[in-house]
Amino acid sequence: MRGIEKSIGSCPICHQLLDFSKEEDDGSAFRYCPRCGSEVYMRKKDSLQRSVALVIASIIFYIPANLFAMMHVHTFAGTESDTIISGIIYFFESGSYLIAFVILIASVVVPFIKMVILLYLNYSVHKGVCKSRQRRQKLYQLTELIGRWSMVDVYVVSIMIALVHFGAFTQIKAGAGAIYFLLVVILTMLAAMAFDPRLIWDGGNCKEEKME
Amino acid sequence: MGKRYICCHKCDEISEIPYPPRKGRYKCPNCGHTLFRNYPGMIEKLYAMSIASFILFILANYYPILTFSVIGKESSANFATSIEYLYLDGDYIMAIAVFMTTILVPFVYITLSMVLFGLLYHGKRALFMIPLIKILEEIRPWGMLDVFMVGTLVSIVKLVKMGDIHTGISFWAFVILIPILAYSHMIFDPHPVWDMIEESDGKKRR
Repeated sequence: MRGIEKSIGSCPICHQLLDFSKEEDDGSAFRYCPRCGSEVYMRKKDSLQRSVALVIASIIFYIPANLFAMMHVHTFAGTESDTIISGIIYFFESGSYLIAFVILIASVVVPFIKMVILLYLNYSVHKGVCKSRQRRQKLYQLTELIGRWSMVDVYVVSIMIALVHFGAFTQIKAGAGAIYFLLVVILTMLAAMAFDPRLIWDGGNCKEEKME
Repeated sequence: MGKRYICCHKCDEISEIPYPPRKGRYKCPNCGHTLFRNYPGMIEKLYAMSIASFILFILANYYPILTFSVIGKESSANFATSIEYLYLDGDYIMAIAVFMTTILVPFVYITLSMVLFGLLYHGKRALFMIPLIKILEEIRPWGMLDVFMVGTLVSIVKLVKMGDIHTGISFWAFVILIPILAYSHMIFDPHPVWDMIEESDGKKRR
């Protein structure tokens, strides 16, 4: 049986089981864990609202992250500005297909997939969808795994800045796109952490109790 | 006590686990999420791993990771230098983010796990371990050293056409550090640690 049927909550930090049966509203009631003192909720507080808000914020930042330049390379020959997309094209044209692929996946595909998956999960829970729970569970685990890997581009920019620093003429500066991209990564990570996966398995209007 | 109950964090299903637990990995019957790992020697392995990580992390930060030379001029990069340049160029947000995810969080994580598992290994049980392990669990997602490694490799590919790249001792320390950290994350299970902390609480009550 499930914890929510018996009004049992579990502490996210120390996994202690707690009895919530005396609380009236099991949505926002919380108690302090007797073992570790953390706040324990039956379900994460305002999970859907926070998760959707963070995903929308990250979508808004995703647009300037791709439009503005990630870094500006100042050389004697002038200044070259690279966005994520132009960097990928550069790698393709110069023959480094593997790196182009890595950056394409990590910086363009991964954040986009994450946003789509999180929106889908939030929407399906909101509508009380009963089917394909196992699949949605796996999607959520995928989202949690891949989230941090979009930081690759940010780190590449910071390493390049540190390495290409010869005198006043040859240097690299970070562009606005890098900061927006960083915000996208952080916001999608927070959105995934705000979403409570247990909601996938909660009731809804199911006619049959069928676990897929 | 022959049994213990665990509530799955992913799907809220309550499962029974024999207590003391048999060796092996316990999965939630509903969603397949790993609930509990019981393999011998976890504390010893994590203690050894965290000491190794600590030494490697100090090494990786002290020496430059990459050295780049073009037409005789040379510059070197490290975790700290990249943050320094970001800060000097005025990109405070990026500097803080890179600092937190590559230096602060990993350092705190490695040091705290070294302290925690060292104390547990040497038989000490204490209540102040509770905030220790809480911090460990909460900051874990924000340590991104493995992503930094991939970033370093991408930078190498980018710059190898423009000049000479040399990988310093820090690079190799870093290369060894990543699998050690990954292995520590893999074998870590907080349940036995919480049991040990509770023991100390029981002793104090008597």
